[in-house]
Amino acid sequence: MTEPKHTPHARSADTVPTDQEAVASNEGISASPPEPNGSRAESESEQGVPVEQLQQQLAQELKELAGRLQELSPALTPSQFPGAQGLIEATQSVLGKANFEKLRSLAGDLLDIDTWKGAWFIARQTMQLQVNTVQRRLQGEYETDEWGLDPEVLEAVIPFFEFLYRKYWRVSTTGLEHVPDSGRALLVANHSGQLPFDGAMLAAAIKLDHPSNRLIRTMFAAWFPTLPFVAPLFVKCGQVLATEDNGVRLLENDELVSVFPEGYKGVGKLYQERYQLARFGRGGFIRMALKTQAPILPVAVVGAEETYISIAKSEVLAKLAGFPYFPITPAFPWLGPLGLIPLPTKWFIDIGAPIPLDSYGPQADQNLLLVSQLTDQVRGVVQKMINDRLAQRRSVFRG
Amino acid sequence: MTEQRVVLVDGVAGYWGGRVAERLLTEPDLHIIGLDTAPPQQSSGIDFIQADIRNPLLVELLKEEKVHTYVHLAFRENERPTETAFEFNVMGTLKVLSACAQADVQRVILKSSTLIYGAAPGNSAFLREDHPLNAKRNFGTLRDLIEIENFCVGFRSQAPEVRLTLLRFANIIGPTVDSPLTRFLRDDTAPLLLGYDPVIQIIHEEDAVKALAHAAIYDVPGVYNVAAPGAMPLLKLTGLAGKLPVPVFHPLAYLGEALLGSRFTAFDFDYFRYPCVGDLQRMREDLEFTPTHLAEDAVREFAALRKHKAAAVDMTPQEVEEEHLRAIIERRQNIRRQLAQAGPSRPQPRGRLEAEVIAESADSNLYEEES
Repeated sequence: MTEPKHTPHARSADTVPTDQEAVASNEGISASPPEPNGSRAESESEQGVPVEQLQQQLAQELKELAGRLQELSPALTPSQFPGAQGLIEATQSVLGKANFEKLRSLAGDLLDIDTWKGAWFIARQTMQLQVNTVQRRLQGEYETDEWGLDPEVLEAVIPFFEFLYRKYWRVSTTGLEHVPDSGRALLVANHSGQLPFDGAMLAAAIKLDHPSNRLIRTMFAAWFPTLPFVAPLFVKCGQVLATEDNGVRLLENDELVSVFPEGYKGVGKLYQERYQLARFGRGGFIRMALKTQAPILPVAVVGAEETYISIAKSEVLAKLAGFPYFPITPAFPWLGPLGLIPLPTKWFIDIGAPIPLDSYGPQADQNLLLVSQLTDQVRGVVQKMINDRLAQRRSVFRG
Repeated sequence: MTEQRVVLVDGVAGYWGGRVAERLLTEPDLHIIGLDTAPPQQSSGIDFIQADIRNPLLVELLKEEKVHTYVHLAFRENERPTETAFEFNVMGTLKVLSACAQADVQRVILKSSTLIYGAAPGNSAFLREDHPLNAKRNFGTLRDLIEIENFCVGFRSQAPEVRLTLLRFANIIGPTVDSPLTRFLRDDTAPLLLGYDPVIQIIHEEDAVKALAHAAIYDVPGVYNVAAPGAMPLLKLTGLAGKLPVPVFHPLAYLGEALLGSRFTAFDFDYFRYPCVGDLQRMREDLEFTPTHLAEDAVREFAALRKHKAAAVDMTPQEVEEEHLRAIIERRQNIRRQLAQAGPSRPQPRGRLEAEVIAESADSNLYEEES
């Protein structure tokens, strides 16, 4: 190993260890071998490679290099540089995962017929398991609840939504502490993004990040039951058609229910209308909450508006396709199914403090004036939460 | 009550009339009169009167016999709406109800179906009894039931002294019943809709009989949905019943229905697409009736028997009279077989049948052949 080769590495680290650190680390090496895993040390000792010696040499070289660097530019001050020992450990922690000895033995394994027998066995078992599952389900041997929620289907789709939630839209959720661990509550959120991913992400937030891991019963519009495959999938994932009867029954069962009172008007908003709340339905959600004395949790979803940039809506195409609205985006429908891929914006879900409704008495849901006032009040709260988040947000894609 | 209460059951030669009459015979304080145009297959203990319900002298009969409760079960199932069936079902019911009002009959019990709510995308998951009757009228049975129910609304205000009980049953399933659902499940090629899996509510035939008897015995006026707890997705139902699903893309299915008529399926396709499930709160709390069979058990029992019967019986939809005759023949065969076999020692199947219902004893030997 020559010195110039090392120089850029050390420079990139930008800092230099003190002599004492280097010495201490050298001692550390001799005292206890810095092997991250013992198996590797054993395998090496079997092959007779003196790892400790190599590491000591490396540490020595690094120390020399550091000294030279300091000579070159005295302005450099030693700071939290981990030291030669730390550097080796860091390298090992990266390389250790690759674990060359294991790779070497793996290469040997690949030539061994037993490896392939084992792989075949595992593949066959996995396949058999899948086939058994499909067969069992075809024979109707699975459980659903009275709404049609199928836990097996739900478990199967969660990874996809977890990916969307954590990796794709990198959703940051605040206010999870407002969501009760048990008992009824009604989440009222703004609706946006052409496709109703916001409902799925809100549910994912509670399912993945809330300590209770509760399942939200999201209420969907009456268009979805007409769609093949979508309709049963929604129902099997525990979602329920948005009717007042359904909502009241769910809340009476102490479920967590989410509604998007803007409906099609909200989800099909044009880009220029983004984050301006549409009318909150006819106040049905307020009646649901008043009837069941459930607290309302206002929710602001920011970031979903920009997943599709809806420039215009085509009424003719909507009528032809039987859609409630037909968005025209820069990519859709021009690119076909590719145009359906949402943009990877950064999302925020803010859950506000509960708005209690139990002080209005049992017959309050028949008071039309009260219902409309409360509807506007909740809408105002959600709009304010959206505006607050938008004021803090600097970038659509980075948050 | 020291004196026996008189309960008149019409349609006793038919399936429901016969079974409900048999069930009511086990009640000691009831006197059962059976009414039909033909004598029932098992007439033991039933005070049978041979007459048509549309006979104008029905009022006189009811007065003379001091009928307290009228159980109206004379109904002709019809797939395509026909004029004769309408005549019998709707006009017959109309005449029965007016005769009951004139003859001071205290209670009338009618059998209806939850399918009359209609399957629609906007249906709540559980439809209460006050839901509008939106079913399409292309199926004769449903059209007649809606007509009858609409008439009942007016009748209730005209004759409030007659206490009317309407039981709306979910899809009826069971080893002996011939219902749209059992016809569908027995037919291996009956299609489903691709990509739809609505929740289906069912009730065991025995529970349907019990519910009708319950309504005749107790004073429970009103309209009730009656179904077994544990509604399940359609594909789970067909899976449990051992029916291979034959999915058809829905526009093609509707096109086929429009072109060929509704003959190749026992249901309107909407029932395979959207849910039509009744809310059972009133059944539990007001009717105070609890079905003994869970939905899943009822399907398993049906599947066990279907496997056994599959080869023997061709169950394509037939004329109503033919169906009746076949049921009679089957029943008589069963009795004969049972007599031939001394001391039946049957294994207890999963979906158990209760021995208390007399009619069941005729069918019970089906289990033996299975084992």
